[in-house]
Amino acid sequence: MVEKRDDMNAPESTYWRSLKELYDGKSVSETKAHEFMSGVTDDFRIDDLGTMSRKQFLALLSASAAFAAAGCNAYRDKGDIVPYTKKPEEVTPGIADYYASTCTGCSNSCGVLVKTREGRPIKVDGNPDHPVNRGAVCPRGQASVLNLYDPSRLRSPEHGSTSGKRGAMSWETVDSEIRKRLRECVGEGKEIALLTNTLTSPTTTKLLAEFGAMFPTTRRYSYELFNDSTRRAAWESCYGTSAPPVIAWEKASVIVLLEADILGTEGNTLEQIRKFAAGRDIMTGDRFNRLYAVEGSVSLTGTNADYRLRLRPDGQLDFVLGLLNEICFVRGEARMDPEILQVASTVSLHALEKNYGLPLTVLTRLVDDLLIHRGTSIVYAGDTLSESLHVAVNYLNEILGNTELYVPGQTLLSHASLSTPAEIQALVARMKEGRVGMVIHCGTNPVYHLPPSVGYREALRSVPTSVSFADAEDETGQWCTYLLPVSHTFESWGDHSVRSGILSLQQPMISPLHGSRQVEAALLTWMSPEGSYSETVYHDYLVNRWEKEVYPRFRSRSDFSAFWLSALHDGVLEEREAEQSGRRFATAALAGVGHSGVAPQFAAGLRPNSYLGDGRYANNGWLQELPHPVSKIVWDNYAALSPATAAELGVQTSDMIEVSVGSAKQTFPVYVQPGQADRFVSIELGYGRTNAGPIGSGVGTDANILLSPASLTGARVFRDVRVKKVSGRYELVSTQEHHGLDTGPLDLKDLGTKRGIIREGTLAAYQEDPEFMVKEHKRPELFSIAKEVEYKGVKWAMAIDMNKCVGCNACVAGCNVENNVPVVGKDQVGRGREMQWIRLDRYFSGSAADPTFTHQPMLCQHCDQAPCENVCPVSATNHSPDGLNQMAYNRCVGTKYCSNNCPYKVRRFNFYNFRDFFADAYYEQDTLALLHNPEVTVRSRGVMEKCTFCVQRIMEARQHAVEQGRPVKGTDVRTACQEACPAQAIVFGDMNDPESEISRYRKHSLGYYVLEDLNVRPNVTYVAKLRNIHTEKVS
Amino acid sequence: MTTAAVDYTRELPVVEGKPHAAELDAAIAAPLDQFPTRTWWISIAVTLTMLSFGVFCIAVTVFEGLGVWGINQPVAWGFDIVNFVFWVGIGHAGTLISAILFLLRQRWRTGIARFAEAMTIFAVMCAGLFPLLHTGRPWLPIYLTPYPNQHGIWVNFTSPLLWDVFAVSTYLTVSAVFWYLGLIPDLATLRDRTTNAVKKVAYSVLSLGWRHSNRHWQHYERAYLILAGFATPLVLSVHTIVSFDFAVAVIPGWHTTIFPPYFVAGAVFSGFAMVQNVLIIVRQTFKLTHIITLDHLEKMNKVMILTGSMVGYAYAMEFFTAWYSGNQFEMFVFINRALGPYAWAYWTMVSCNVIFPQLFWFKKIRRSIPLMFAIGIVVNVGMWFERFVIVVTSLSRDFLPTSWGHYVPTMYDVGILIGSFGLFFTLILLFVRVLPVVSISEVKAVVEGAQPHHD
Repeated sequence: MVEKRDDMNAPESTYWRSLKELYDGKSVSETKAHEFMSGVTDDFRIDDLGTMSRKQFLALLSASAAFAAAGCNAYRDKGDIVPYTKKPEEVTPGIADYYASTCTGCSNSCGVLVKTREGRPIKVDGNPDHPVNRGAVCPRGQASVLNLYDPSRLRSPEHGSTSGKRGAMSWETVDSEIRKRLRECVGEGKEIALLTNTLTSPTTTKLLAEFGAMFPTTRRYSYELFNDSTRRAAWESCYGTSAPPVIAWEKASVIVLLEADILGTEGNTLEQIRKFAAGRDIMTGDRFNRLYAVEGSVSLTGTNADYRLRLRPDGQLDFVLGLLNEICFVRGEARMDPEILQVASTVSLHALEKNYGLPLTVLTRLVDDLLIHRGTSIVYAGDTLSESLHVAVNYLNEILGNTELYVPGQTLLSHASLSTPAEIQALVARMKEGRVGMVIHCGTNPVYHLPPSVGYREALRSVPTSVSFADAEDETGQWCTYLLPVSHTFESWGDHSVRSGILSLQQPMISPLHGSRQVEAALLTWMSPEGSYSETVYHDYLVNRWEKEVYPRFRSRSDFSAFWLSALHDGVLEEREAEQSGRRFATAALAGVGHSGVAPQFAAGLRPNSYLGDGRYANNGWLQELPHPVSKIVWDNYAALSPATAAELGVQTSDMIEVSVGSAKQTFPVYVQPGQADRFVSIELGYGRTNAGPIGSGVGTDANILLSPASLTGARVFRDVRVKKVSGRYELVSTQEHHGLDTGPLDLKDLGTKRGIIREGTLAAYQEDPEFMVKEHKRPELFSIAKEVEYKGVKWAMAIDMNKCVGCNACVAGCNVENNVPVVGKDQVGRGREMQWIRLDRYFSGSAADPTFTHQPMLCQHCDQAPCENVCPVSATNHSPDGLNQMAYNRCVGTKYCSNNCPYKVRRFNFYNFRDFFADAYYEQDTLALLHNPEVTVRSRGVMEKCTFCVQRIMEARQHAVEQGRPVKGTDVRTACQEACPAQAIVFGDMNDPESEISRYRKHSLGYYVLEDLNVRPNVTYVAKLRNIHTEKVS
Repeated sequence: MTTAAVDYTRELPVVEGKPHAAELDAAIAAPLDQFPTRTWWISIAVTLTMLSFGVFCIAVTVFEGLGVWGINQPVAWGFDIVNFVFWVGIGHAGTLISAILFLLRQRWRTGIARFAEAMTIFAVMCAGLFPLLHTGRPWLPIYLTPYPNQHGIWVNFTSPLLWDVFAVSTYLTVSAVFWYLGLIPDLATLRDRTTNAVKKVAYSVLSLGWRHSNRHWQHYERAYLILAGFATPLVLSVHTIVSFDFAVAVIPGWHTTIFPPYFVAGAVFSGFAMVQNVLIIVRQTFKLTHIITLDHLEKMNKVMILTGSMVGYAYAMEFFTAWYSGNQFEMFVFINRALGPYAWAYWTMVSCNVIFPQLFWFKKIRRSIPLMFAIGIVVNVGMWFERFVIVVTSLSRDFLPTSWGHYVPTMYDVGILIGSFGLFFTLILLFVRVLPVVSISEVKAVVEGAQPHHD
């Protein structure tokens, strides 16, 4: 009997088709809802799949795993994987450890925080507690982790002969031979020469002094390819101390830079960028500096200037004199000291306009600005300029009262001054005469760095014992009798102090990968009469010095061990130093200042390069492939010429010219650099190494040979240079072409602004009406025919403040390391296949002779309506519920349709397995496997990849949030590019959180999206760039 | 073959002379009965060499990666997709001739339909190579098929590339079935004629027991008609969908609604040019000039002038639309096509596709074998360049000038193109040796006097 259902009159069963339905409606209607029979669902809901019990599942899983394991025993032997039998206390697999340390990539000694996974360093970030670099680290520091795992590193000491033959030897043999030799030298009265770079470590300095005391014939020499000797010398003559102050750039209203690349290559760029950008923060909005750059070459700093004056460096002294003349005589705003009166009185602004073609209006405004902002303006000269120019600049700042911007109590220290050219030449002479018994190169490479005219390499042959401490054989090590592997920064102890009041510590995160020692440890071993090497020898020495000399200074209440460990933990110690007594300008210094005047001949400027340091990073593919911040050229240096000069010589980019300075000459490929001063060649040093390893050898052209011995510590501007075109061509490769200055039927000028890619305005317009940009660019009314997805939870978004971004590429370097981005090599970049996920786009506007520049970081915009997503046939790229445009590498078949359809062209395709393809699989060797971030897939050949907004970090943050039982917050995540940005131009977070910083940026009246009209709804907001230029008419 | 004596006031005879049925059999089957000639051996040696070079280039591509090609960022599609669209286009004439002209009762199609269909299939086979090869991981084509799996991952039905997969595979299947169906009566004829035991078996199996019975003919005609009806929309759909690969994208120069008709016209244009070219050789070589007559060729030339003008109109309209849209990106793309770094390709395209085919307005040229042959080649070159212009120039300079690039093909790109021609002509050479190049049964039906009439 069929029972009558209670709810037979329920609305859903008004109509019935059978008695069964009428009386037992529920099961029937449920069955009807499924097209097929019971057990089959219409859609694939994972919860509904399978009725297997957990036990069955596990049983099957283990059985299939066992079968698979049994069947695949010969499949790709990946070596033994051994678990910890005793887990080290601090290592938990899957959890990163961070160690505070100090970067030794250059002599700035920035604090770093090194991320290690399972005991291996994989990422370098700035130490946020370090007062100088405040959590940022430059591209070199970022990429230095690659040097740690460089397969070319020496595995053991090697002995060699002057003929260049070598063979491996043990450290014990080295120790006993060198120890004997050192004593012989002392006995014979022969000199032991120690060659170091700039000494940044007080403990090393002390150690070297002790070494010298033990072996009295020791003499120490220091040189640095890039140095600030002229600045220090000028300071010495003006103020009697060779420690110039740190400048409070953030407080400056007007900045006048003379050939000073403060944002790119000179000084502590991280600190300078941060402070400069802080002076351009539209969010706080109380101050916006104005930057005048006077330069001959086009530096990164110059590209960020509000006013850029093209002036050859040899005319810049006249420029300063002209300013002095205008301020003191014409305007009568200050009294000039008689020492300089005679010289300065002859240079007027009119003369500057007449002789150098500088626009008088800009000069007048510059002087106005300096006078209006007395005390908050700063004039600053670059490291390559002469001492007398620095003196004149110091004087100008003095009379304007700008010395208030010198940060009190913070000066640039020097533990030992650099050797003078005369000292170096004397050393070479003694070496040749056989009076030097031994040379020890402490990580230095003088054969490459010193110009051939010094004759170091020939002299080295006359020295019976020569030692080179190096990561790998280099130009100097090649000719040394001992080649000793030196430990990487991350394998070494140390302390550094380059600024008064700041002490930073360096600690190892990994024990030496190969049989290397740090220089100090080796020296200590040789100093002890017999005793064998112990790993802690330098650590003990360092701790000992700190206990005796540093600890008492702090008058800490805790015991030394606690003090030491907490210092080590923080990586940096700040110490309040006594304020220096009043600085007095010695007007006598002015007596040496003469006229400069530009000769009609060519002049040349030899500049530091952006990323390779003094060439020591030549074997680092990441850095070689980082595009030059201005020219975007990779894997090369070049001779930059202005368009007019290039036309005069009849050359184009990639043609060859010969540059002769004195008797030295070298051939360079030409790069036609818009904005370069006419008849001025600028060339970057640090390239053209001949023995730098498989990656770095033969990259670029060696310009060190153009240096004269005197210029080692002097100005790097050469007059009386001869330039001529020579036959041949050398293809320079860049990541970006020169569109934007072309005229002609296609009218490519100013495409950036015309197309809505970059938006710019003047500060004056913004101050008058903060909404001016919104009014100028009406946001089009855009709608979508599809139903729009609602994002209810966290939605990730980024904002990039173009007022702060200077285009330094630190974000690119950070992204490369974080996301295992491969190096592809010059030929592949030439084919347009670079793999970097974020790039700095450069736009020109104005004329080719004197353009205006704009830098724009470009990365995946994570569009809400992403054009890449709907064209992927396999849904390999798709959208996450929190607004990320995702890439499923496993699913990607590589149709490249997504890349074609991306309006921003930010997708990158693995045309090869680049690790295998590049340099005969150099980066696929065993040690490199340790480098990769284990949280990020290493992409195989044939798949598309792109910026993920560091999804691995988002996932980690989410995991922490889940552990703590709270929702993930926007502030929990910082992307790698954001972390790397010294200007703090990148903001990342949850746009659905109305309180967040990112929401403020998204709503800002200067905020805009690139290519807004396409209605792809990007999630990266750009803040329009404001130029702080004069808008009022000249009276 | 006098050119002046054609009288257009009455319907032209489809087959010249009044050949006897047996004569037709003999004429058409002749190539199958003889041992291959020296010319044939030389030809196939050449085409096989081309094919081998292509196979070598493909092997290197699969082994090394797509890096051996000239593609880059931003031009991520190059010769691969150009060749794909080109070959699909070539594959258009066959089904158009056999299906649409059949439905329209164009009796002149009989002489050329079989060959055109075969060509279609071979061209689509060549085309099919490229979508597979152009993927970064060609060993995973399974991901492009909607198969149920434990991840619950489905293909993306909004992607035109997926539509391509369906469109092209459907087209290939239907064309092949249609072609085979039409072959059955001829296979039976060949079975009946041959004395060779091997051929006998092969033709017997393939002719599926055809006995030329009235019932067979009745079923056959029905089935043929239905398939013709079925194939007709495919003629239009395939290239429409191929054009969606571009039209659906946001890239200026691709994102345009004119593409579907423009692509179909272009496809018919190039298809006819290719059929005309190859038939000229076939009819001379195999002495079929009375079956594949000059009138047929002239009609094809007329189709070419029509479709060529449509294509020319589309080129003009593209410029007009770009200007009329007021969209700066759109305008730039077209100015860039005409004056930018790839202007040479653009002007090659325009002259080959728009200017030279206009010569067919002259009857003398339309009926001159050497001239029409030359123009046919020019048209195919032009149509290849059309695809090059669309694919490469649009990608090379899109929205952000900082990401502009230049595409230069490598040896492997060219090699695979040569290889595809090698494959195409090898298949054609094999086809002319083993199957009748003209439909014997259909030709018999259109010989003058074959149909009953009441004078």
